[in-house]
Amino acid sequence: MTDFSIRKVWIIAKREYLERVRTRSFLLSTFVTPVLMGTFLILPTLISTSTARGILQDSERPARVVIASDNRALAELASGELTRQHGTRYQPSVVSPASPAEREQLDKKLDDSDIEGYVWLDASAIASRHVVFTTRRMGDFILQGRLGDALSYAFAEQQMVKQGSSAIDVAATLQRVDLKAVRAGSTSATYNEIRGAVVVFILMFVMLFSLLSYGVMVMRSVMEEKSSRITEVLMCAASAPELMSGKILGTGSVGLTQIGVWLGMAGFGASRSLYLRTAMTALDVGPSLIVYFVVFYMLGYLLYSAIFAGVGAIFNSIDEAQQWNFVVILPLIAASAMILPVATDSDSLLSVSASLFPFCSPILMFERLAVHDPPRWQVALSLLLLVAAIGATMFVSARIYRTGILMYGKRPTIRELSRWLLHA
Amino acid sequence: MTPAVELLEVRKSYGGYVAVDGLSFSILPAHIFGLLGPNGAGKTSTIRMMIGITSPDSGSVQLFGEPLRRRALRRVGYLPEERGLYRRMTVGANLVFLGQLAGLSVATSKQRIDAWTKRLDIEDWVDRRVEELSKGMQQKIQFIAALLHDPDLIVMDEPFAGLDPVNTMQLKDVLVGLRAAGKSILFSTHRMDQVEKLCDSICLINRGKAVLQGSLSEVKNSNGRRFVQIDYEGDGGCLAGNPLIDSLNDYGNHAELRLKPGADSQELLQSAMRQLRVLRFQVMDPSLEQIFIERIAGKDD
Repeated sequence: MTDFSIRKVWIIAKREYLERVRTRSFLLSTFVTPVLMGTFLILPTLISTSTARGILQDSERPARVVIASDNRALAELASGELTRQHGTRYQPSVVSPASPAEREQLDKKLDDSDIEGYVWLDASAIASRHVVFTTRRMGDFILQGRLGDALSYAFAEQQMVKQGSSAIDVAATLQRVDLKAVRAGSTSATYNEIRGAVVVFILMFVMLFSLLSYGVMVMRSVMEEKSSRITEVLMCAASAPELMSGKILGTGSVGLTQIGVWLGMAGFGASRSLYLRTAMTALDVGPSLIVYFVVFYMLGYLLYSAIFAGVGAIFNSIDEAQQWNFVVILPLIAASAMILPVATDSDSLLSVSASLFPFCSPILMFERLAVHDPPRWQVALSLLLLVAAIGATMFVSARIYRTGILMYGKRPTIRELSRWLLHA
Repeated sequence: MTPAVELLEVRKSYGGYVAVDGLSFSILPAHIFGLLGPNGAGKTSTIRMMIGITSPDSGSVQLFGEPLRRRALRRVGYLPEERGLYRRMTVGANLVFLGQLAGLSVATSKQRIDAWTKRLDIEDWVDRRVEELSKGMQQKIQFIAALLHDPDLIVMDEPFAGLDPVNTMQLKDVLVGLRAAGKSILFSTHRMDQVEKLCDSICLINRGKAVLQGSLSEVKNSNGRRFVQIDYEGDGGCLAGNPLIDSLNDYGNHAELRLKPGADSQELLQSAMRQLRVLRFQVMDPSLEQIFIERIAGKDD
């Protein structure tokens, strides 16, 4: 009775796969999701990060800022520094002296969008160094930071010149320090904040979304077969483990197909568009990261789909299953809450233990791999625990599945469930 | 001849509830076997053990002379009582899928689907989705699905439930043809009239136990020719006190009665002729339904 036919699993998986891939919802989610994600996730990130790197330098209109001050030398120093550091990115101009009439005119220019903002450097601002920048671009922290830097530089230079330093000395003294973090024991893997942020968010989202939707798909599919009473027809031809594995593999392949299509689209986009290629290079998505992603995705899927298959066999309708669904996805919610803490402190005790916990590790260990190089033994241990958890879950689910798919009507009690489990 | 299936003292309980209790029977090739019993008697539980969906707590199940193995199930066709198809798939795709699972190649499946659908007059429906079909139509498809791989043992749980008389006849003819081809057929039902016309032997179960079993004629004989109908003129009141009669339905000039066990119908005829003018006196075969009701209802008292 124990023989397990790979051929039957294959037939069942194939049917499941073909039926799901042909649905309109699959096509829609495969081709619309990247568009939505691009709009909501990639674009803003790309724009702000590429602004930082000057990728979009040529395509974007330079920001016009006015520095108004009675101290013309100071204003010109700041304006010069801004241009020196950031080239044509900004188009600063100087207004001096700063009279109330000038200010009215500047406000009007702001209203007409002729300038992006102006700095008002009156005597009290110079004395207290509390400077007001009036702008419509309240969210552009990069511009504000750079403007502040340029002003600080100008203040310092003017001060030093006043004290008798030469311009060359001033430049040398005020040269900025460029700090780059390199991970201990590694020569190549520089911690890349931008890559960290973007990769974490895109891939985490894809993984969470996909684990959840394909897990639930397995559950629905089990329920459908149960409620349409086809299970009983199948049971003579195939055993419960064959049915369950076929279903899990078939549905999982649909998920992999979808992710494959997305990766393919990204690759194709990168090969055709300079803009996307530059962005991808900036993100620094290497092949090893893709491999990690696929491995952790597949293992995570096996774990969650096994649970969902069991849940599907227990209940008769989606409504009934709803409250238990919540229990199943709780670890996924916890994992998504941990994404930020893990990104900022990837080696803390909390991050390490969460990334070892099998129900979170597909997401969090992958995240650590994306953000840092976690120690090898931790990666190995998390994989080991994950595989062990898959084995245990499959075992329990297969037993519940075997009995549950032939039980119609009443929802089983916990006691009945445990009897299904123990019953040989 | 090796029986296609042989159950020996099979017992199965779920929790505290005994569904099948020490049941034994076997089905020979070229036989139609009726598994009868009221709802909840244990028919489906018995069938599930026969085809390896569940295993018995004790006792043995042999398929084709060997202990049950999954491989042997390739020779079994099963039409469960709770049956369904993939609603969004076409009839043809459903059947090819089930044929493949039963071990057929796609080409062979298609060939046989073609032949069967022609035989059952549904060849126009092959490319339709299942959800477009009527219940009865779906049932014919499931019937085909159970037979596609040419099984030697065919197990059908309430195969005619919900079918109109024309379709019932059509499927009945198929089953009779399969018996002629040497197949063993088990069919389970609580509809006695169907069994009577079709089965070679039966097993009547109630509460998991066999109440009555054997060939159809054995069963009828062992239940005696105890049913009598009389058409008469005169005062039928004298029948009521007759010591030979067990139970009586008197309609005034027509009476239906059951003799006491061991009573001779000829003796009754003689005593009736002394008091009445007998127009017609007929000893009837008991119908299975009468036996069924008598046995099951009798147990319940």
